[in-house]
Amino acid sequence: MLDPQADFQAHTHPSAAGRRALRLGICGPVGTGKSSLIMLLCSRLAATLEIGVVTNDIYTDEDARMIRAAGVLDPDRVVAVETGACPHTAIRDDITANLIAAEDLEADVLSAGAALDLVLIESGGDNLTATFSPALVDTQIFVIDVAGGGDVARKGGPGIERADLLVVNKTDLAPYVGVDAVQMKSDAVAARGGGPVVALSRTDESSVEELLTWVRGQLAAHAGGVLVPSDPGPMAPHSHAGGPGHSHAESPTHSHAHSHTH
Amino acid sequence: MTPRDLLPPMASERPLHPEALALLLADARLPVAGHTQSAGLEPALVAGPVDVPAYVALRLRTVTRTEAATAVVARAAVLGGTSLEAVQDAWAVRTPSAAMRRTSRVMGRALVRLAPRLVAAEHVALLPCEPVRPVVLGLLAAVGGLDAATTARIVGYDDIQTVVAAALKLTPLDPAEATGWVVRAFPALEGLVAGVVDLACPEEIPARNAPVIEDHAERHAHTTRRLFSA
Repeated sequence: MLDPQADFQAHTHPSAAGRRALRLGICGPVGTGKSSLIMLLCSRLAATLEIGVVTNDIYTDEDARMIRAAGVLDPDRVVAVETGACPHTAIRDDITANLIAAEDLEADVLSAGAALDLVLIESGGDNLTATFSPALVDTQIFVIDVAGGGDVARKGGPGIERADLLVVNKTDLAPYVGVDAVQMKSDAVAARGGGPVVALSRTDESSVEELLTWVRGQLAAHAGGVLVPSDPGPMAPHSHAGGPGHSHAESPTHSHAHSHTH
Repeated sequence: MTPRDLLPPMASERPLHPEALALLLADARLPVAGHTQSAGLEPALVAGPVDVPAYVALRLRTVTRTEAATAVVARAAVLGGTSLEAVQDAWAVRTPSAAMRRTSRVMGRALVRLAPRLVAAEHVALLPCEPVRPVVLGLLAAVGGLDAATTARIVGYDDIQTVVAAALKLTPLDPAEATGWVVRAFPALEGLVAGVVDLACPEEIPARNAPVIEDHAERHAHTTRRLFSA
C-alpha cells in the first residue's frame, strides 16, 4: 500500500479517478453544522454506501471523536488530520496531509475486503473565504446557518457563491434568531446565480431528502466519470456587466479573446 | 566524477541545478504538509516553558544529527549502488520512538509524492518500502547532484525553521526576533554538517538520542488535543 510508485500513480492518473471513492468536501464557518451534516449523511446513507470521514479540526480529533461517538460509522472509518493551526492551508494550498489520509482510509477499507463509495472531508471551521482545492475533493458543500445572520448569504464569498452546493442550515432556528429563512435562501440563490441551495433543517424531512438527492446525483456523476471538480476560488470571478460570475471549470472552451466591458 | 556520471540520465531534458533543488527542498512552500509539523515543540510546550533557541540547539546535537547523518549516508548509498534498506534499518534502530519513526514515514511519503516531478522514476524505484524522510531526501540529493554538506544542511535548516515557525504559532513574538534565532543557530548547524559530512556507511550513523524529546513525541501521539501532528 505504501509502494512509492503506486502512491504517486494512484493520485496522478486520471484513469484511477473513476474507481476511487467520491471525495466530498464540507466547509464553512465554525458552528454552522458541518459535523452534524456529516452525521446526518452517514446515518441516512451508511445502509447503502460504504462511507469514510476525514476531519480537520482545530484540535486534532474533536470532530472525529464526536462523529465516532454518534455510532453511525465504524470508528475506524473516521480519521483526523492535524492542520498545525492552518485549517485553510490544509484544504487549499498544501493538501498533502488530507490526500494521504483519504488514500490511507480507502486502502485500509480495501484491505478489509470492502471498497469506499464516499469519503467525506470536513474542513476545520475557518472563515467565509476557505474553500477546498479541486485537487483534494471532487465536489464540495459550503455550509452557513441562519443563526450566523440573515445577511451572510447576500454578502457572498467564494464558498457561498460558487461551492457545488450551498446549505443554509438550521432553518428551524430562524424564528428564534429573527431571520427570514425564505428570504435568506432567495438571497443565496441570487448570490449563486441560480446555483443549488438547500435550506436545511434536520427536523424538515423534505429538506433532508433534497440534500440526499443532491449527494446521490454527485455520486452518480462521479461513477459515470462526468463529474469535473471545480474551484470556487478565493478570487471573485471577472465581472461581466449585468451578469453573474462565471466559472472556467464549467466552460473549458470559454475564451477571453473577445472584447468585453468590465 | 560527479554524481550524475554514476547514474542513468534523468527523464527531464534539462537537469536540475543542484542549488535550485536545494532551495526547493528547503522552502516551506514545498507542499509536504510542513505546516502540520512542530518538530516536537508543541509537546515540549505542553510539558513546560521552553527556551526555543536552546531547544533548537538540543535537536541539532541529537535527533536532527541522526536524521542528517541518515540523509548523507542514504545519498552515499545511492551513489555507491548499495542498499537503502540497510540505511533505513540503521536509522530505525537509532530512532527509538515509534511516534517519531511514524512521523518520518509520513513526511517521507509526502516527499515521495513529489519525487517523480524532480527525478526520473527509475531512481524513485530505488527507495525501500515506506521510506523515511531522510532516506528520500538522500536519494533526491544523490540524483539531483547535491553534495553531502548541502544534504545535511537542508535537514538541519529545515528542523530549525520548523521549530521556529511553530513557535510563531504557539508563542507568538516579533518574527524578526524569531528569524534572529534561526540565524544564531547557523554556527550549530555548521557543527552538525561538519559532524556528518564524511559519513558513508549505515553503521556510522550516530545514535544521538534525546530521551525527553522522544518521550514528548510518544505522549503527543496519544493526546487528543494537538494542533501539530508532531
